[in-house]
Parts: sequence; C-alpha cells; structure tokens
Amino acid sequence: MDRETRDMLLETADRFFTERAGKDIVNGVEKGVWPKDLWKEIEEMGLPLIAVPEDKGGAGGTLGDMLAVMRLAGSHAVPVPLAETALANLLVAAADGVPATGPSTLALGDVVFEGNRLSGKVDRVPFAAVAEHFVTIANAAGRPMVAVVSASDASVNEVASHAGEPYGTVTFDNPPCEFAEISPVSVERAVELAALMRAMQMAGAADKVLATAVEYSKQRVQFGRPISTFQAIQQMLAELASFVAATIATAEAAARDADEGGLADGGRFSIAAAKSQTSEFAQRIAGIAHQSMGAMGFTHEHILHHYTRRLWVWRRDFGSETFWGEKIGTAFAKAGPQALWPSLTASRYAS
Amino acid sequence: MSIPKLEFPPFHLPPEAEALRGEVREFLNETLPKVKSEDRFASWNTFSPQFSRELGKKGWIGITWPRKYGGSEKSFLERYVVTEELLGNSAPAGAHWVADRQSGPLLLRFGSEEQREAILPKITRGECYFSIGMSEPDSGSDLASVRTRAEPVPGGFRVNGTKVWTSGAHRNHYCIALVRTSGQHGDRHKGLSQLLVDLKTPNITIRPIINLAGRHDWNEVTFSDAFIPESCLIGNEGDGWLQVTSELAFERSGPERFMQNYYVLRELVRVLGRQPAKRAASILGRLIARLWTLRQMSVAVAGMMQGGKSPVIEASLVKDLGTIYQQDLPEIARVLAESDATTEEDMADFLDTAQYATMMAPSYTIQGGTTQVLRGIVARGLGLR
Repeated sequence: MDRETRDMLLETADRFFTERAGKDIVNGVEKGVWPKDLWKEIEEMGLPLIAVPEDKGGAGGTLGDMLAVMRLAGSHAVPVPLAETALANLLVAAADGVPATGPSTLALGDVVFEGNRLSGKVDRVPFAAVAEHFVTIANAAGRPMVAVVSASDASVNEVASHAGEPYGTVTFDNPPCEFAEISPVSVERAVELAALMRAMQMAGAADKVLATAVEYSKQRVQFGRPISTFQAIQQMLAELASFVAATIATAEAAARDADEGGLADGGRFSIAAAKSQTSEFAQRIAGIAHQSMGAMGFTHEHILHHYTRRLWVWRRDFGSETFWGEKIGTAFAKAGPQALWPSLTASRYAS
Repeated sequence: MSIPKLEFPPFHLPPEAEALRGEVREFLNETLPKVKSEDRFASWNTFSPQFSRELGKKGWIGITWPRKYGGSEKSFLERYVVTEELLGNSAPAGAHWVADRQSGPLLLRFGSEEQREAILPKITRGECYFSIGMSEPDSGSDLASVRTRAEPVPGGFRVNGTKVWTSGAHRNHYCIALVRTSGQHGDRHKGLSQLLVDLKTPNITIRPIINLAGRHDWNEVTFSDAFIPESCLIGNEGDGWLQVTSELAFERSGPERFMQNYYVLRELVRVLGRQPAKRAASILGRLIARLWTLRQMSVAVAGMMQGGKSPVIEASLVKDLGTIYQQDLPEIARVLAESDATTEEDMADFLDTAQYATMMAPSYTIQGGTTQVLRGIVARGLGLR
C-alpha cells in the first residue's frame, strides 16, 4: 500500500488500540481471560491479513506494511497474537495457501515430515494456549514444508511467559494437516522473519517506555518541584532516549532491508544485527525507566511493566543477542578482517 | 502524551555516492600501503600532509564546495562516503580534517569573498590546515564565557588571551578564534566575534600540552598584543556566537563519532582467527551489530540533513551512543582477546593496541560537546527543560 494509505491505517489502528486494548485487557490476558471481542475487531479491520495478497482474501500489503503494524502493536502491548498470526498467514499465502481465520501462532523449531507424518516438539511457542492454528515449517526430506495444524490436533503444555502471555510447548504427533505445501521460506528464514517481527515490537515497546517515563517525570513532584527539573533525572532520561533511538533505528533499518530484499532472503544480516541490538539494549531501557520511576513503576498497578516485561521476554524470543551475535561473529571471523568494512557498509554477512 | 517522536528514517546513500565509494576504495588501496602502519591507528588524528595533498588531487577535500573555490560541487552524501571510507580504512586524514569539516564550511557561509578566494582553494588542494580556537582555560562546555579580547585598533584588532586544547596549532596554518570584541566578560552571547588567525602572526606563542597518552596534539595558544588585520574578521562583528553554534553542528553526527577506533574491531577479528569459539563469536557479533546500528543512525541523520531538516537531537544521540560504544569497544575486546586470541603473540600485540585505545577513549565523550552537555540538549528536546 502507498505511504498515505499505510499512515491512515496506522492512525486508525493506533486509536483503536488506545480505546480497546487498554490496561484492563492486558491484565485480563495475564489472568487467563481471552479478549474475544478485541480479536474479532482486529480481524474485522483486516490486520492479520495485512500482507496476504488480495486474491487470497488479504489486504495486499507489503512486508513493510505488516512490520509497521507490528511496531504499533508493540507500543500498545496488544495482548493477542496479532503479529504471530499476520506472519503465519503470510507464510501460508507464500506457499499458495489460503490463511485460516482465528488466531494462529508460529511453532518454529525441530519439526519433521516423514512418511506422511508430522512430528516434533517446540518450546516457548507464543500464545500456544489460545491459538486456534499452529503454523510450522517442517523438514520434508530436506525441503521446507509449511504446515497448518488445528490446535485441537496438537498437544499443548501451557507455560506462561514472564510477561504473562500464554506461551507453551507444542507437540505434534502425526496430526492431520489443515494445509501442507512446500514452502518458499525455509525454517531458518521463518525464524529470521519472526526475529524481525519481535525487533519491531520491541521498537514500539521501547518508544512507549520512554514516553511513559518522560510523562511521569513531569507529573511526579518531589522536593516541591516536578522531578523532570532535576538534572539527574534529565540525564537519565536522555540516556534512555539514546537506547530507545538505537532500538527504533536498527529495527526500522532491518525492516526496510527485508521489505526491499523480499520475503525469501531480504535483509538477512540486517535482521540479525537488529535483533542482537534490540535484545542487547532491552535491559538498559527497562533498567533506566524503572529507576527513574521509583516504586510506582515497580507496582502491578502501573502500566510500565506491560512494556518492560515484554522487552525482557521478546529479547529472548526467536534468538537473543547471544544467538544472533554468534551468527554474525562466526561469519565475520571466517571471512577475516579485510571483509569487515565492505560487508558492514553493504549490510551483508561477510563472506 | 506529546513527546517528540524519535525517528531515524532508514536512508539509502544514492547511487552516485556508492559509485564514488568504489573510486575512494581504489585510491586508498593504492595509497595506504605507502603509509607507515603506526600512522594508521589514529586516522583523523594523524597528520600527513603528503596524504592530504594526494586526496586533494582527487578533488575529495571540500568536495561539496563551489568549483570557483576549488570544490567539486558534489552532495553532502558524497562527502559522507569519502569520510567514512577514510575512517573505515584507517587513512591518516588528520591534516585537513578540521578545515574540510568545519573551517572551510564556516568561511563559505560567513567569510568575505577575499577570505574565501585566498583560503578555500588551498584547503581543497590539501595544503592548508586549521585549528579550532574555541576553548580557553576558563571556558570549556561554557563557551560563552570566553575571555580572549580583541580590542579594535586602527586597521584591525589587538588580541590578548589564551586558547587551550588547540589541536594541531603547532603545525597548522590557521586557527579560527572566538574572541570578545565588545562588552564585558559577563555579557555571554553578545559581543563575541570570530577571527581568522594566521598562526605565524607575531606575538602569538604556541606551547605543547601533552595528553595522557604522551601525544602532542593539543597546544596552548597565547595572544600577547597580537595584531590581527580587520580583513581577518569572519562575518559581522558581534555575530560570533551564532556562527560558532553553526560550526559546532558540523562536528556532531559524522562517522568519526563511532569510527575513531575502528581499527580495534578490525584487529580483534584478526586475533580471534577464522574459527572462534561460540562465546567469542557471539561477543564479536554483538559489537558488529552495534556498529552497524550506529552507521544506520548516522546515515539516517545525513539523509534528514540532505532533506533540509536540522535533526539536532538525533545528531546528539548519535554522538552519545557512538562515543560510549567507542569506550566499550577496547574494554570488551581486551577481555575477549585475553581468553580467545589464537596465539600468545597475537594476544600480546593486540593488548598493546587495545591499551592505547583505552588511553585515548576518555577524550571521545569530551571533545565536540561532552556527553553531559549533549544529554542536556536531548533533555530539552524531550521537553524536560
């Protein structure tokens, strides 16, 4: 979609999330209350199908459009698998399938398709306990195969994430598949795209953390004046802004590279760098924000933890800085010092 | 909530800039092997008139300036590419650096026609070098408190006072000095002017100030009744503050704010060998990811500037993050090399390199605006002051 259409969509969605995905909804999900109406309205807006072609019932948007919505969702801590479903639907559509309705999630890991049997076990699947469909990329005799399995045909062991979202372990033991087709996207690539999805959500959450801390500092009065007037607080929040800026910039640069390079392999290095960077700065962001807000920000009552806890969970999802750093470091070490600068300026893995 | 959005719109350097990159690399591949390796560590702090003249011959100094002053009338983004290639290849680009980055642009914007014609072509040929005459013993971050006084006398000014931290004054040709031409010390921004000072002028004394690493970059420049001709006033008398703040903007967001000790990262790759352990690879990769992010931010700022915006806060954030990265780098690299260098000899050599970088590191968060002053600028942008 063109820039103007995307901006209009984001503006509408921003208002919608502000009104309909507030604090009570987020806290409700943590207590196990599935926000049925919120999900229904998200589907009515067409957001889970944003990057699915129009002939498959989607909005015909680009990868970039989808990632922009994910960043926005991150800035509202939207407690449903909107991002996961949108990416899952894109993977299905890329294999010429028609996406299912209902919340889906990504079960990416060691899954194999052998002798017409799908089997495997995947830990820490986001929203495993509420998704209606699991989308996985299985190894089918060396070729990637995207498969959709109804939640009722897989076994799920719920282990809530530390942000209170219903994550869990998903086991496939020869379930029937709602859809199965050779995928143009490998499982490694699907993990990259999921990492980029989380990096964009982290950019949104980081932005919200900064806004929250800045706003609080202007309202909180101590020693007779707003704490924002103290140099100590100003210096902390400016430092916080630097980490937030890096998080936003790196995620947006990777999103641009993925969008321009295409679904199959666009922005491979950029995504690795962005997820390493966003994950590495998550703690700096959360740490400074909490310190600046004192005991208030540490309460369950305040919304700050909706964002800081997600940053802590999301930095681990689909590869932390340890995982992506190792991929980058291994490639650059192998290529040697002469390849470092040319690769860095070309945003490519050294080779 | 209404706080300004921090955005760094991803930006591609245009094809002509990328084409120029190829030419610059080719030139550096031919030229740099002739340079002594110890001169390649400090990059934009290494003074090499020979290298600057060769670069000038290519038309890559003052690259954005009008042709009539020796420039090439190329874009700010092409200049960006030349700058980052010099740093990424550790070229000894120190002699002309300040003249190219801020003194020349200042003269172009505020200087007289006579000053431009006399000086800019020499800068572009790589033959004329500049020092910055801002700081004084009692004026660091608080630049408006300068005391050096230029008293109007027939035909010019009689100057008295002392400038410090004046990099390269012992070998450069000129210094642009911020001086008080009217009013009193307490008048702050009023009554300040900028003078183009020939460093060979009688009654100017230049003494070295050696830094902690034993290097002689800095000087103390003392004016004792030095006569500076009226023709050397830059812009209007009394406009010094306006001019100096625009000069500072040239200093902030460029790649030199995160590429100054790039050689540490490159050497780290060398000593870790082709197949480092997983943990070492991971730490290396994280450093590379940080540098890549900084470059994306800096290029985004360049794109915004090219688009006619003045991203003051964004530029300040790049310098803050970039200089902190440059302080982290030698420390992380040192510890990593101690555990994971492939040979004892490599490790020993690298530890010397990293030690040198560590000694230089405190300067990064001081020069060109201290981190604390920058954070003050950012805090103002966030609406906190």
